[in-house]
Amino acid sequence: MKFTGEISIPAPRDAVYSKVRDARFFASCVEGVQDLNEIDSDHYTAVLETKVAYLKFKFNVAVEVVRADPPREIEAKIEGTPLGIVGRLTASSLTRLMDDNGGTKVSYEIDAALTGKLGSLGQPVLRSKAKEMERLFAERMRAAFATSEIST
Amino acid sequence: MTPFELLEPTSLHEAIAALDPDDATVRPIAGGTALMLMMKAGVFRPTRLVSLRNLGDRFSAIAAGPDGHLNIGALTPLSVVERSPEVARVAPVIPRAMRRLSNIRVRNVATVGGNLAHGDPHMDLPPVLIALGASVSVAGAKGERDVAVEDLFAGYFETVLAKNELIAALRIPPQGKSRAGYLKVTTGSAEDWPALGVAVAIEAEGTAIKSARVVVSAATEKAARLKTAEQALAGATLDDKTLARAGDAAADEAECISDVRGSAAYKRELIRVYVGRAMRQALNTGATH
Amino acid sequence: MATTTLQGGQVGAQVGRSLPRLEAREKVTGRAEYTHTMRLPGMLYAKIFRSTVAHGRIKSIDTSAAKKVPGVFRVVTSEDVRKVIPEPYYGPAFHDQPILAIGKVHYVGEPVAAVLATDPHVAEEAAQLIVAEYEELPAIFDEVEAADNQTLVHEELKPAGTFADLKHLKGRKGTNIALDFKLRRGDVDKAFAEAAQVFEHTFRTQKVLHLALEPYASIADWKESGVTIYSGAQGPSFVRTEIARLLGWPENRVRIKVPYLGGGFGGKLYIKLEALVTALSMIARRPVKVALTMEEQFYTITKHPSTFRIKTGLDKNGRITARKCEVWWNGGAYADIGPRVTQKSGFTASGPYDIDNVWVDSYALYTNLPPAGALRGFGIPQLVWAYESHTDMMARALGQDPIEFRRKNLLREGRPHATGQVLQSCKHEQALDRVVERLNWSKPLDRGTGPVKRGRGVAVAIKAVISPTTSVANIMISGDGSTTLYCGTVDMGQGSDTAMAQMVGEVLNIPAETVKVVPRDTDVTPYDMGTLGSRSLFHMGHAVRLAAEDARAKIKAMMREVGEPEGSNIPLADLFKKKYGMQAGNIVGTGSYKPDYIPPAPETGLTTNVTPFWMSAASGAEVEVDTETGHVKITRLITVVDCGKPVNPKIVETQISGGSLMQLGFTMFEKMHIDAGQVTNASLADYKIPGILDVPVMENEAVAAEQANGPFGAKGVGETATFCVSPAISNAIADACSVRLMELPLNAEAVFRALRAQANKPLADE
Repeated sequence: MKFTGEISIPAPRDAVYSKVRDARFFASCVEGVQDLNEIDSDHYTAVLETKVAYLKFKFNVAVEVVRADPPREIEAKIEGTPLGIVGRLTASSLTRLMDDNGGTKVSYEIDAALTGKLGSLGQPVLRSKAKEMERLFAERMRAAFATSEIST
Repeated sequence: MTPFELLEPTSLHEAIAALDPDDATVRPIAGGTALMLMMKAGVFRPTRLVSLRNLGDRFSAIAAGPDGHLNIGALTPLSVVERSPEVARVAPVIPRAMRRLSNIRVRNVATVGGNLAHGDPHMDLPPVLIALGASVSVAGAKGERDVAVEDLFAGYFETVLAKNELIAALRIPPQGKSRAGYLKVTTGSAEDWPALGVAVAIEAEGTAIKSARVVVSAATEKAARLKTAEQALAGATLDDKTLARAGDAAADEAECISDVRGSAAYKRELIRVYVGRAMRQALNTGATH
Repeated sequence: MATTTLQGGQVGAQVGRSLPRLEAREKVTGRAEYTHTMRLPGMLYAKIFRSTVAHGRIKSIDTSAAKKVPGVFRVVTSEDVRKVIPEPYYGPAFHDQPILAIGKVHYVGEPVAAVLATDPHVAEEAAQLIVAEYEELPAIFDEVEAADNQTLVHEELKPAGTFADLKHLKGRKGTNIALDFKLRRGDVDKAFAEAAQVFEHTFRTQKVLHLALEPYASIADWKESGVTIYSGAQGPSFVRTEIARLLGWPENRVRIKVPYLGGGFGGKLYIKLEALVTALSMIARRPVKVALTMEEQFYTITKHPSTFRIKTGLDKNGRITARKCEVWWNGGAYADIGPRVTQKSGFTASGPYDIDNVWVDSYALYTNLPPAGALRGFGIPQLVWAYESHTDMMARALGQDPIEFRRKNLLREGRPHATGQVLQSCKHEQALDRVVERLNWSKPLDRGTGPVKRGRGVAVAIKAVISPTTSVANIMISGDGSTTLYCGTVDMGQGSDTAMAQMVGEVLNIPAETVKVVPRDTDVTPYDMGTLGSRSLFHMGHAVRLAAEDARAKIKAMMREVGEPEGSNIPLADLFKKKYGMQAGNIVGTGSYKPDYIPPAPETGLTTNVTPFWMSAASGAEVEVDTETGHVKITRLITVVDCGKPVNPKIVETQISGGSLMQLGFTMFEKMHIDAGQVTNASLADYKIPGILDVPVMENEAVAAEQANGPFGAKGVGETATFCVSPAISNAIADACSVRLMELPLNAEAVFRALRAQANKPLADE
């Protein structure tokens, strides 16, 4: 499953970059993230709880920042194991930040794969969920910059 | 499958009380044909299922009103709806559409209410009912409310129903001069879920279209009316040019999803063609497929 | 044709009767026994924990949560398996498949651990709680890419020596190529250089699977004195040999019992679950059953996807002078019988055509996908898809009628096939003639003026039966004259029990219905190579015939012994009484058959005796293409086969319609969708097989023929109807609207995209 998107943030690129690079901030934009644990500046674990209608899924997630190139790019790898059901979620993401008239254009590419029971039967359900999460993420990102003070 | 509690209440009130507004692992079960698939796949593990089988005969009754409207109890099996003379009189598009709905074994067990409450965008009935302007009566802890089927669906497997609400009945308003059609488009086996469903309802005098409802499903995340297509048809003359314009509008408006049954791009092309074909089927002016 | 009766039976002319299947009543009244419904006292169920990674090193397997689930008897990994079976690798061509993954996993869905419990739901729940950690390795999925050997699936290949024709495989390293078959005849390079026209095309086929209605199920009851395995296995003798090898036991301590199969189609061959249940039963010291779900079938065995690059040179008269075939077979993570598909189908890659210069390279590739093995047609449908599409493309390019073009180039009886064997008893030309007649080919077809366009197409093909293989049969006549047949051919719905009973009846002059055919049991039924590749009617038919003739000779001898005059028609019961003084004693007849065979020379693939018989078929299709949507409606599907003289015409008819319907699904819409090695449509909800609404108007026929060296003039027909369906339909689509599809399946979107590409308005990818 491939997802791509673009978010416009009304804030300068350096500020946006440091926020996005901050695990806690990033996690706050993803719906359903709990128990974020920072192992070091490039490795994190968390629990991701997500719901599609009356179907609930809980994943143990591990994130690795593979490459950080301030203020331009962040490459990351995500691995998730669903609880109570055999499966595996893997994703690689590439986030690019570009100056945009004083603001920043954040574009992202995510390549995700789902294996195990969820992968064999849950594809359309999770694809739809992923779209919803994308939308919410963009909303939260924008909202955070609109209301928060710009700090570096 | 892990063990779960099965309750079999004998009244609507009891059934609603047994549901939990906050717990997603408590679900009502009618025919169970859709729910069972989720449970077998392991993506749904209930702690409690509330069976609706014994709620009483009035929930599986079909009654026509003097003004031509139809009331169908939510627990009416699909095959009973399929064979009902009242339904055939008020909305012949329904038995026509049901001939290819899933298969006879499922139709004998699945219920109308269950079909609507499940919220699967691939289903055949929802777009048909939206085209007919149907509504459901929803029963909850605080009483009953009416919801247009058009407003019932929120997304993939999601309806606007609270977790402790049940669909009690389906109401199809009198159709007057409106004529409806439905085309189920499969792209592989003919026995598959549709890749696209197109339902239309048209009021026309000869070739003068007064108004139309155009609904697509299966290709989109939920069954939805396509207002731009409806606008292109309202007040227009029924001819190839009008149908092409409506098809183009529909293809542009619909938000299609790619899946094993077809890419989004292909589904848009199918919409472009099938809106016109569904119109012709409804008016019986040529299209047979 | 002789009339048939259900009661009492008909004496005389048993072969040729359309006798209803002997077990039909049992099956439709729910009394037939299948492994899936069997239970043994004290039995445990096992559920499998599978890999979620396409290629990786196993870092750890955490079974602690699983073990804690109440009711769990035991959780097993390969560590436990190796304590009872030190070298737990199996397979007919390579001993490459571990009972449970050892050290590495090679495909998503590979069995990694198993949970044992008396309640299968408990076992399933516990299996979902096992957590494995993998170090992911690069994975390879495409067969042509795999041949580059940049990403290796296995570090070392492990050949077996079980089958005579695969003996030459030597252990290899540093490659994904499990087998490369070569055929070299004449000088293709020279012929291409001199050709008036050269055409080259590449065709592809997709991953599909058998989906028998009864999923895989096996039970093992292991004791120190011996193990009994109940399994839906098409080749019980092979299972016995292989389990005995794994245990280091003599064959006679291993017993395989096979009830009816709810379908096989090649999927239930060799070892599927039998080794796993044996190991689990050894560990648990109790009977153990593994019964797969429909979803798990997708992770067990499938059909080879393929890429076939075909190049043909023609002289100025449109005669084929040279053909080069390169075929890449996607075998998945374990070889199973893939190397044989590569070789035994490989040598017919050039088709039923008379070509002096032929070059074939056929490669069996390892990839990180669920394994591929034998599936009805055994590689032939993939080859025919390519060469018969290619044939039509050439004919059209030359402005020639596709039938005339074929007739100009068809290989005829008495001429040598590409392998060097002279073609005999092969009526593919007659099959083609019959298809052409039924299609009214000489009359122009109304192709339609609106958006719906009509077209028609044909295809013709041959297949060689696998050789050399052995079948043995025993017949026992009891003191009251009743007759029992013991043979290892497995009835999986193709009606073999009925056909064999008919052959016994023909020789012994008794009604087929009175012959008891014993269910397969390797303690009782003698050796048979396997129920596969359409070989049983011919090979086991001969063995059964010989056994019956042997019994008949012994009856005559007994008559002489007791002083009966020549030509006496004393009832058998009285004969026994005369000999033994009472209703006692037996007459035992035995027959064994193995055809002659000359192995192909390794460097050229040539031999004058590669097969005892050829199967052949032709198909024709008439279609309607909705050019606005790409939907294809098949208005007629005609299949004509050569199966020699049908032993049971009714069964032959159902084999033709069943085979062509199965291939229809593979042609029009079936496809396993795979993402990062995970099958994403592993259920009948999302992987559709043909339903009643997909069945076109079918015309099925067997040409009048007699197999000279066949039992009662017969030969096999199990696969024949699958050969030509795909290209016949594709050729019809091309005839209707001029689009040529190079890949299967031919679903509506594929046709639509081709139409748009042709109109120079290609459709966006997504």
